[in-house]
Amino acid sequence: MAENRDKTFVPEAGTCVPWKVIKEELGELPGNEEIVKKEWENLDTLAYSFIWFWAQR
Amino acid sequence: MSKAEKLYQERLQRYTTAMECGKPDKVPITFPLGEWVVKYTDTTIQEAYYNFDRTTEITCEIIRDLDFDLMYSALNLWWPPMFNAIGSKLYKFPGIHLEENSQYQYIEEENMKPEDYDEFIDNPTEWLANKFLPRINEEFANPGSYRATAALIKSVAAFAMANDKSAKASEKLAKEFGVVPYGTGMTKAPFDTLGDALRGMKGILLDLRRRPEKILAACEAIIPHNIAYAMITAAGDTTLPCFAPLHRGAYPFLSMEQWEKYYWPSLKAVIEGLWARGKRMFFFAEGNWTPYLEKIAELPDKSIVFVIDATDAKKTKEVLGGRFCLYGGVPTTLLTYGTPEEVKDCVKRVIDELACDGGFVLAPGGVVMSDAKRENIFAMIEAGREYGVY
Repeated sequence: MAENRDKTFVPEAGTCVPWKVIKEELGELPGNEEIVKKEWENLDTLAYSFIWFWAQR
Repeated sequence: MSKAEKLYQERLQRYTTAMECGKPDKVPITFPLGEWVVKYTDTTIQEAYYNFDRTTEITCEIIRDLDFDLMYSALNLWWPPMFNAIGSKLYKFPGIHLEENSQYQYIEEENMKPEDYDEFIDNPTEWLANKFLPRINEEFANPGSYRATAALIKSVAAFAMANDKSAKASEKLAKEFGVVPYGTGMTKAPFDTLGDALRGMKGILLDLRRRPEKILAACEAIIPHNIAYAMITAAGDTTLPCFAPLHRGAYPFLSMEQWEKYYWPSLKAVIEGLWARGKRMFFFAEGNWTPYLEKIAELPDKSIVFVIDATDAKKTKEVLGGRFCLYGGVPTTLLTYGTPEEVKDCVKRVIDELACDGGFVLAPGGVVMSDAKRENIFAMIEAGREYGVY
């Protein structure tokens, strides 16, 4: 998995590391994917707004 | 429903009607919160910036007996601990860099170099994280080091704390005093995102001559981010407009030709993108925008709240009135150097000229600075209620 993290991608506006990138690394989840995805995206949005805050100040 | 909740609903309805270019029962009035409040307390500006609880107390004290509809801005626009934690070079704050009753100062530098354009255009968010953040923050200058990791953790925590404290303060003002915020969320014109904290004034003015195609490509790359940033910082709200402080677009920073080619298309795209999501822009047109009014009139009806600072008010009414809500009318200099009588005369004139058929909010035309006088602010609000009844 660690080597996957060197893969480059251009995140869409509003995201830093989109869920689809992580999902590809994780593969099938044994439980409810939506629960994991929702909280991943909430924190990803926070990180995105922190990064852009400094440019938008 | 409590008295404050009823007031909140009435005021929100008044503002919403004005934003829809309608005629509410009264002209909505904005209370301009800012550092000017501090000199009427036993607090310093340093304490007002750093201590959120004290800031909320001060705000509650000053608005307690006032009758207005909207509140604009904040006492502590930036929470210094977030900047201190990461060693930010962008600002100087009172108490740590400046004397305790100074307003903060922004230090403009060329934080993005001409050779950074391509990398930024290809992947803006990654470039900001990898190149920009280490350049503007001394504690984060060496990502991966112990100091940098600790600084990043602290600054992100402070960012989340500040957002939470700010939301709670806003909730308290709404619940206890029926105060409606003027807007939710924040964004910029792409040219300003590029020309403020990234290239700086000198950098972007040189770029207009030396690498204009890079400006266009960078602005194009910024458009979706400025739409996303607005919606994220507004937490999805579409009732209130999104603040957009517009800087380099004021006349005469750019010639008409430059403005039409480099400033306007990407700003227009952001406004249209937001409007497609049901979100208005609070078009904070600092300075004079008179030469550009005809182009601004190309926007979809009601998609902006146009703030009149030094723009010709009569011309604004003529070109934009009836299609966009107009906001402002009271010069901030008058609130500092004028008398209550002069302020009242100004309010009467502004209401006669701009408010007659609705679609207007009475407010200062710009940011009210620390030297404004309380008696003038109060006179503006009182006169607004006296003359602003439809």
